[in-house]
Order: sequence, then C-alpha cells, then structure tokens
Amino acid sequence: MNTPRSTSLDGMPNAQCPMPNGGGPGISHPPSRHVGPMRPIRPIGHWSLVIGHLGLCVAALLTLLLTHTASARINVVTLPGRDTVQLTIYNSADLTLVKETRVLTFRKGVNKLEFSWANTLIDPTSVEFRALTHAEDVDVLDASFPPRVTNTLEWRIKSEFAGEVKVEIRYFTSGISWAADYVAEANKLEKLMALAGSVRINNNSGEDYEQAQVRLVVGVIRLVENIADLANAGRPGQRPPPPPGAPMPAALTAVPRAGLMRGMALAETAAASRPREVIKEELGEYFLYTVEGRDTIPTGWGKRLPSFRAADVPITSYYKFEKERWGDAVMRYYKFTNSVPSKLGKEPLPDGSVKAFRTVTDDNLYAFVGSTSVKYIPIGEFVEMELGADQEVLVKPRLMDWQKTDIKFGNNGNVAGWTIKQTWEFELQNSKEIEVVLDIRRNFAGDWTLVTQQANEKVDATKVKFVIPLKPREKKTFTYELTTRHGTNATK
Amino acid sequence: MKTRIILATLATTLLAAAPAHARIKLVALPERARVVVALSNPSATLVEEERILTLTKGVNKVDFSWRGVNIDASSIQVRMLSHPADVKLLNTSYPPNENALIWEIASPVAQEERVRISYLLNGIGRDIAYRAVAEPDEKSLTLRNYLRLNNASGEDLTDAELSIGYGAPFKKSIAHEEILEMLSERIEKLPIRKVLRWDAAQQPWDPEYEKKTVGIPLNYIIKNDVASKLGTHTLLPGKVRIFIKTRDQAAGEGEAAGEGVAFTGEDWGQLTPVDREMRLYIGQSREVKVTQRKMKDDRVDRTIRRNLQNQVVMWDTDEIFKIEIENFKKTPVDIVLVEHITGYWKMKESSHKYEKKDAFTIEYALTLPAESKGTNKTTISFNLEHLNVQGNEPANY
Repeated sequence: MNTPRSTSLDGMPNAQCPMPNGGGPGISHPPSRHVGPMRPIRPIGHWSLVIGHLGLCVAALLTLLLTHTASARINVVTLPGRDTVQLTIYNSADLTLVKETRVLTFRKGVNKLEFSWANTLIDPTSVEFRALTHAEDVDVLDASFPPRVTNTLEWRIKSEFAGEVKVEIRYFTSGISWAADYVAEANKLEKLMALAGSVRINNNSGEDYEQAQVRLVVGVIRLVENIADLANAGRPGQRPPPPPGAPMPAALTAVPRAGLMRGMALAETAAASRPREVIKEELGEYFLYTVEGRDTIPTGWGKRLPSFRAADVPITSYYKFEKERWGDAVMRYYKFTNSVPSKLGKEPLPDGSVKAFRTVTDDNLYAFVGSTSVKYIPIGEFVEMELGADQEVLVKPRLMDWQKTDIKFGNNGNVAGWTIKQTWEFELQNSKEIEVVLDIRRNFAGDWTLVTQQANEKVDATKVKFVIPLKPREKKTFTYELTTRHGTNATK
Repeated sequence: MKTRIILATLATTLLAAAPAHARIKLVALPERARVVVALSNPSATLVEEERILTLTKGVNKVDFSWRGVNIDASSIQVRMLSHPADVKLLNTSYPPNENALIWEIASPVAQEERVRISYLLNGIGRDIAYRAVAEPDEKSLTLRNYLRLNNASGEDLTDAELSIGYGAPFKKSIAHEEILEMLSERIEKLPIRKVLRWDAAQQPWDPEYEKKTVGIPLNYIIKNDVASKLGTHTLLPGKVRIFIKTRDQAAGEGEAAGEGVAFTGEDWGQLTPVDREMRLYIGQSREVKVTQRKMKDDRVDRTIRRNLQNQVVMWDTDEIFKIEIENFKKTPVDIVLVEHITGYWKMKESSHKYEKKDAFTIEYALTLPAESKGTNKTTISFNLEHLNVQGNEPANY
C-alpha cells in the first residue's frame, strides 16, 4: 500500500499527500490544480504546496528562509497537479524517463521545494528540476536529501520572480516496461502472411501516470547501476568505484537525450474511433515510437496498442538442418525481409514475441503454428522466425562408405599420416502439401575437401551450406564425398 | 459445469466518467455462437469462439475474463467478422491481478458485430489410440484411429467443432473433467508387412547357449501412402493395439459363432508423415531360429606392419560369417538380418544379396520357406576383409 507523505523541514511528518475523494490505493483521480479550503501544512514560516497523490508527492515547501521567524504568515495551500506527463520507456533496460510539468507559485527569494515519493521505484539520483518559464529568474541553489528520511529531497530554489512558474521535473523510474509482440498470419500455402505488431506497456512502478504521453525507445542503452537498486536505496548512496579500465561511470551512455526531447508537439488526443497511430522516428542508433494521444496506465495495469499491420508479406517456408545445433530435428522457419518490396521496411522491428498462425479454411480459421521470439530487425534485414521442430520434413544423412587410405609410416614405423574418404547420402523428404526450402549445414574440421554435384556455398572455413527447394510430397537424395587428411597427410 | 469464460460489454458512458481502473462489469453476456477447437498442433490447443457483440456507436469496452481456466493471456486475439473494415480494435488493457482484459472497440454506428476470439487453452489432453484387427494371414488389417480428449481446461466446450488437422471437423460437446473418446478414422483392408528382424548386435548368436528359446522381434510395417489407403495426412503418435482375427469361433455362452479376435501385442506408434513407414514391434516369434557364427577371423600375414619396436601397427583381416536360419512355421516368413561391420571393409563374397544401409550396416532380407528346418534350413555365408586396421575403427558416425 502506498503511504504518501510530505515531510517538514525538521523531518517531522506533517502532512499526507491527499487522497482525494476518499479514494483508496489503486483508484486514481483526475488531478486538480486548486483544491480548497485546506489546512495549512505547517503554520509558521511556510506556505506549502502538496502535489500529487498516491505514492508520489511533490510537497513544495516554498519557504522564505530569510523570514524564518515565528511571525505568523498567511499560508496558501494549492494543489497543483501534473499538467503534463511524458513517459519515455526503454525496452532494453528497466528504465523509464518521466518528465512532468507543473505550475508552482514562487516568491522572490529562496524557496524550498520538497519532492517525496513513497512506494514507487524512482531513482533518487536522477531527479532533476528546471523552470520552463522565467528560467532566467529561477535558479536551483542546491538539492538536499534530509537526514533520517528516505524518498525525499528538497530543492532550494532562488527566484527573482514572484508568481506562477511552469516547471519541469524529470526522473528515472523502474517498473514500467514495454515489449513488442507480433501476430503472424500465414496463408494456406505459406507464401504470404499478414504481420501485425503491437506494443504492450506494463506499469508496476507503484505510481499512476494519468493522461501521459507515451514514448517507447527501441535500442540498447548501457546502465552501470540498476534503476531498481537505486530506487530501493531511497537515497543516493556511495557508488562502487569502477574497475580499472572500465568506461567512465555514467547512469546512461549514449542516450540521445536531445533527440528524446523532440517529437513533443504531437496531437493531444487521438481520434477516438480509430486505433491510435504509433509514430516512429529515428534517433541516432535508436528508434523512438511515440504513441499518438495520451494514455492512463494505472500501476498494476498493462496496455496493448496496435503498432502496425502489413498484409501480403511474402514469406518462405524455410527449414534448417544442422546436426551440431539441433540433432536430427529439422527446424521450421518463416523467412521474410523487413523491406518495402516485402510490404514492410518502414521501421525496424523491435525484438519481441511472435505467435504464428496459418489460416486453414476459407473462413480464415486458424491453425496454431507456434510461438517464438524474434531478434531486433533493422530495415532491409531478413527475418527468420523459428517455429520449432517439424517432423513432416525429413533430412536423413547417412554415411554410406568409409575408407582409410593413403597410409604413411614415420621413421619409427608407426602410422604417421592417413586419409579418410567418406561418402554421405542425404535422404530428403517433404511430406507436406506445400513447397518448402531446405537449408542444410555441414561442419567439417581439419584438412578437408568436398566433392559433390549438389550446389553448395562455403559459409566459412569449416561450414558448407546446401539450399534445396522441395515440392509438395517430393523426395530427393544427394551425395557428397568428403576427404579428410590426417597426420602427415594434412597440408593445412 | 457452467462456462467460466465471461465476455461482457461495458457501458462506455459509465466508464468515461469513472477512473480507468475501476472495474465495472457485466452489462451484457453474449453467448458463444460458434466454438472451434484446433488440435492440429500437438503441443497447443487453439480455441476460436465467435460471439455477437451489440456495439454502440463510438468506443465500446468489452471485458473478457476467465476464472479457473488456464488460458495463455498473451495469445488472446479478437478479430471482427461482420464489419472488419469499419469496426476497429483500439487497444487492450490488462487489469492487475485478474485473469481479464478489456478491449476498446470503436464502431461507426450502433450495430451487431460477430467477433472471433482466439486463444491458446491449456489442459486439453489428447491421445491417439489405434486399434487394429489383422486378418488371419497377417497381410492386411482394419485400422481404427480414436481421438481421446481429456478436458481438464476448466472450460465446458459445448457443440465445439473439433479439428485434428485432417479430415472434416466434427462437432462434440465435452465438459470440464470429461474424457471423450471418438472414432476419427477407419480404414479397411490396410495392407501391412509382417517382418521378423534379427539384429546381430542385439540378438544372441548361438541359441544353443541360451537357457530360454530366443524370440525374434516381430514387426508390422504400415506405410503411410496412397497404396496403403493412407497418405492423406501424418499419422499422429499413439499406442497401437493389434488384434488378430480368429477363425471359426464356436458359439459360446452369450456369443454368436463366427469371427473372434485375439490380442497379439501393442507398441507406441511414432509420428509418421506421409510416405513414411510406421514400424510396430508387437512381440517375438519363437518359430524361427537364427544361429550366427564367425567361421574365420584371420589377420592377413602379408599385410601386417610393425614399428621399430616390433609392435603390430596395422593389418588387414579375412573374415567369414555363417548364418543358419530355421523356420518351424507352416507358412513362409519374411525376415531381415542386420549385420554391423565397423571400419574400412570390403565384401569379398556373399551367398545372398544384401543391401548396404550405411557404411557400417548391411541387411539381408529374405523369405524363409515354410518349414525350412533341419537339412532344409537357409544358410547365408559372407566373406569380408577389413583393411588398414589399427584397432580404433569407428562403428558409427
């Protein structure tokens, strides 16, 4: 259960973040900027702002320190909610950049602003404050993490301006994640498929983010410390020194921060009657998906949004055999290219899970082909979705002949060199009613030569690939002769 | 048992004002209009159900929840069937700690929409059981394939169209915790081959030294092809029980005279795609006796190589094997004899034709005449040489 609170300057608990309308945990409410009347939080020398609800409190104890006396003051309590919230969620790490704007009322002089959070997963080392209006008049003097209090910091802010200032508070939180998932719907002949991509966002951060603009980052960032660990510490702690030779410690490396700030001015609200668009833009090595409109994702909830759908994507029903990887099994793949001619290619496809179906009837009933995961696929790259072993395509290699010849003896009379000649026969059988393409890989060690009538490709020094199409119900065989030279017979 | 999957459309107007995660449910409960259960994937059961939703103009919230049913939540999909171009799925929300999701579906007008909801359902066990009755001559049999469904999914499937990946789907109802067995296929006079298989690596060579009569594994071979009245689909794995017709069964108490059956054995049938063979090891025959002996096992003197320490480092061999086979049955018997020969070898002479199955295996396939025993027994002999032997020859690859 969330136990929000704000804390007075001397550390005494003095106010609860309001739970408007008596709502309990798990119930969110639209924020309001002005709620009253409300009791002063601290009667002397302060006027306070208490912002937020549930786990996250921004208690702006805007204090005129210069008049930090016992003299009575008029206390004004307002309740500024978040004006805007933006979530930039990373999928390669448990990290979300939260950016919220609020309007605070400052007085001239030094103001204290307390920011506290409880039962959330905010990284205290990441919290930043800046004024968006009157920025030249508002300076953060320092930020303090008060003693004996966790999940709280206080900014001392010097303002040359009295009045409303729009401010931005930015921080990292863990507990919000997103993932891509796909539904591949192959046609009966497995020549074409419809590919639909979705993004699913899960919020387990402890905080409700209402009417948030959601942006999703596709890319791999580096974190030297887990945000969740930093959040659980509650206060900034002593960091371990980096090991010798390690890169300079940084919370993030190569986060395209300037880029992340772009794309803000998107439509506030999507047309309600159509699926909202997920706008993609490239940012250096990353891709940023901005979900059109605003979303409320309460803590504990997940949300799945359609991202794209492409019909008639050409696919190849592709089967692989490599004994060293899968034993005797023949593995099934759908192979396609993330390119414009393949009706895709507008964006990279984030790594994610795939459920593959094949339509088997005229009214498009499904057969479940399998579920798998795909790697991150850049534009132009081909894609292989592994769908598990398939016994309806047979690859049976058989060693048909084995000879040990060309024996050489050393000076001591022992066998010093010999050559092994192997004849291999491959029995191939497609028991399916559709065309398939087989990819057979063979690995050879040492000094070897291969003689065969079957077209092949030398993948590297130790690997050969045979790509063989099979018609429905077709049987084929091919052979090769492998010669390996050993001992003094080996020349390489 | 009542269905445990609940589909509810929610009043949009109520929710528009309510917080997003207040869970108000149960406005309408559309019944299933159709249920299709696809069992074609051996490791997953796909359920597709169709329901008719009454949509209002604008955004509708449809709550799909389940209790006591093991559904893979990540697999749930909804497809619009009536107006796929106009009615759109906007998003899907997943409430915490609930087996539920909420679809937001936009409709341009108030209308009924037939939707197809598909999901993977755990807990539907399926077995294939084969029952075969062989003719007395063991040249053909009648094969019945039974599909046995064990519904432990928590869900009652009523009037479900069951599809097993071949043939026409059939409509059945199967309640939670019910086991239902149904005949899915029946083939009359399916030709089979009955073959004894004696493997030199597994069977004793000299029965005289055995305390018990040696049994030779007996196989029925069914080919999944058109000639065998099959060949339309993969035969799924399952237990095969084989009976044989007994002739002229006398009338017994409560039993009419005529054909009866006797059980001859069972085996696990492996998954058999089209144009491949299902080999069933159903028992042993003790009516056939195989005796194998190695009659010669020499190193060839002129081929022996020694090193400077006078140790033999390489040689060739000269080997002769003799196999005697007796058939005590009054009918001919097909038998396959399997020999394993390691390393680099050449056959010098063989009394019978053999097939080289791979570099280290040969097979003799022959038909033993009826009662070919004693002086009429069948004798195979073969003479081979191993070349360039060092004592470390491979037996397989």
